Amino acid sequence: MVDALRADMSHRADDAELIRRSRDEPDEFATLFGRHGPELHRYVTRRLGGSLADDIVADTFLVAFRRRGRYDLTRPDARPWLYGIAANLIGKHHRAEVRFCRALARTGVDEVAETYADRVAERVTASAAHRRLASALATLSAGDREVLLLIAWADLSYDEVAHAMGIPVGTVRSRLHRARKKTRAALGGVDPTAIEGVRDHG
Amino acid sequence: MLRELRADTPWPEADRIATMQAALLIRTRHKAGRPFLRRLGRPMLLAGAVGLMTIITAALVLAGRSGGAPPQAAPSRHTAAPATPSTAPRYADPAEVLEQAALVAATRPDEAPPRPDQWQYRKYLSQQPLGDPGEVDVMEEWIRYDGKQTAFSDATGELRVRDTGPDPGDDDLSPEGYDRKLRALPTDPDALLARISGDRHWIDRPSEDSSHEDSAQRAFRVISVYLGQQAVMPPKLEAAMYRALAKIPGVEIEVGVRDGAGREGLGVFRKDPRNDLTRDYLILKPGDFRLLGSRSIYLRDMAARDSFPGIPKGAVYATAELASGIVDEAGQRP
Repeated sequence: MVDALRADMSHRADDAELIRRSRDEPDEFATLFGRHGPELHRYVTRRLGGSLADDIVADTFLVAFRRRGRYDLTRPDARPWLYGIAANLIGKHHRAEVRFCRALARTGVDEVAETYADRVAERVTASAAHRRLASALATLSAGDREVLLLIAWADLSYDEVAHAMGIPVGTVRSRLHRARKKTRAALGGVDPTAIEGVRDHG
Repeated sequence: MLRELRADTPWPEADRIATMQAALLIRTRHKAGRPFLRRLGRPMLLAGAVGLMTIITAALVLAGRSGGAPPQAAPSRHTAAPATPSTAPRYADPAEVLEQAALVAATRPDEAPPRPDQWQYRKYLSQQPLGDPGEVDVMEEWIRYDGKQTAFSDATGELRVRDTGPDPGDDDLSPEGYDRKLRALPTDPDALLARISGDRHWIDRPSEDSSHEDSAQRAFRVISVYLGQQAVMPPKLEAAMYRALAKIPGVEIEVGVRDGAGREGLGVFRKDPRNDLTRDYLILKPGDFRLLGSRSIYLRDMAARDSFPGIPKGAVYATAELASGIVDEAGQRP
């Protein structure tokens, strides 16, 4: 479905054009929802579960609609803008997310996944590494976690994350570095052989 | 691994999306001041599969639900975790404080690097904004000096050791990798700054990144990373790091900044006019200038305009380094 939506985008107006039109023709905004609503819904579901996702995604688009007059029309892809609004709304549930992560770490039961999984058939106890990862996610600052997950789960680029969060790209880099360092014990991922930089300047 | 976590999250069903899309259409028309019924006759912009009846049904359901109370009650505004309880922030002269830090750092013993099969141990805590007082997460972890394995205690206290899969694109290094990198750096502050700002490692990595940051920003970021590697820091180099920090534009020092464990220290931060969301401190212990932890304070509400603040201005996230050191086996504590 999503591939079809994406393919659709190529020979239709880009997001900026849609948003521009929606200033006079509000109905155009529903088309933007058709393009990006499913992806945002999946992202929010992955963060907070299915029960909160409907409200957060609906609110994201309503806030976006109200702010459409201020959208930077030089940006053809509205995803960073929409993810940025969603991130702020997710931030409202920051305590709940930390609680979910702590519970997953402690009990191995993922309350977020249970909102969409078939409870009886699919109740899977998380692996030790996933539990550790969840406890590491619980220790991150809200901003660091958002940066990490926008890159890992929403596939935004660094520039897009910087735009979404309204922070300089250097801040994106330092947040990501911090977040990865804290999740390292669960994730692995340091290259033991990497020592370059010495040679580069020798 | 992170990409695997909840990778089975489903895409929303088509009818769920259609219902939400229809609801959005109604609410945006309402906001734009266009009566819904007058426009019903126009062709809908929705994807072909969605029938008009679905839309009308959705509209009726929505109308039925939305009578009475507003859809979202205003959240009680959380009180932010108390900031450092002094009335106004007090600042110190960065050049003076950092020179003092350099002098102290230069007197530390120069230790031989650990063996590749030894382990670096770290215990730290984090305090979330809006958390209940005293509600903290404490983490303990081990990483082999050569970076080939990591270890942690699981919820039952059992030690889990994990092989590290190389991720050549990442910008982080093994302790040994940092060790070699640090020992190759010059100890003259100007030469050090130039080397750090131009280091391809920190420019090109993480490898999926193609963004641009300015050199002052990079220098501050990378020195912050290096100062977090104190177990392997040569004393003369640490001294040079502090003197280099003092040369970076925008670096300031606030006195009496608390880490996640409530300990007061010297808060080193860099004023970045483009970052108005948080101020991020690296906290040094007065006297010996060891790293105590970090503190981030929200300078404004983290919220989209027109919506409720997710995290309010003044909220604080803080960490504290509780213990670190080199041990022979994973699971041991120094």
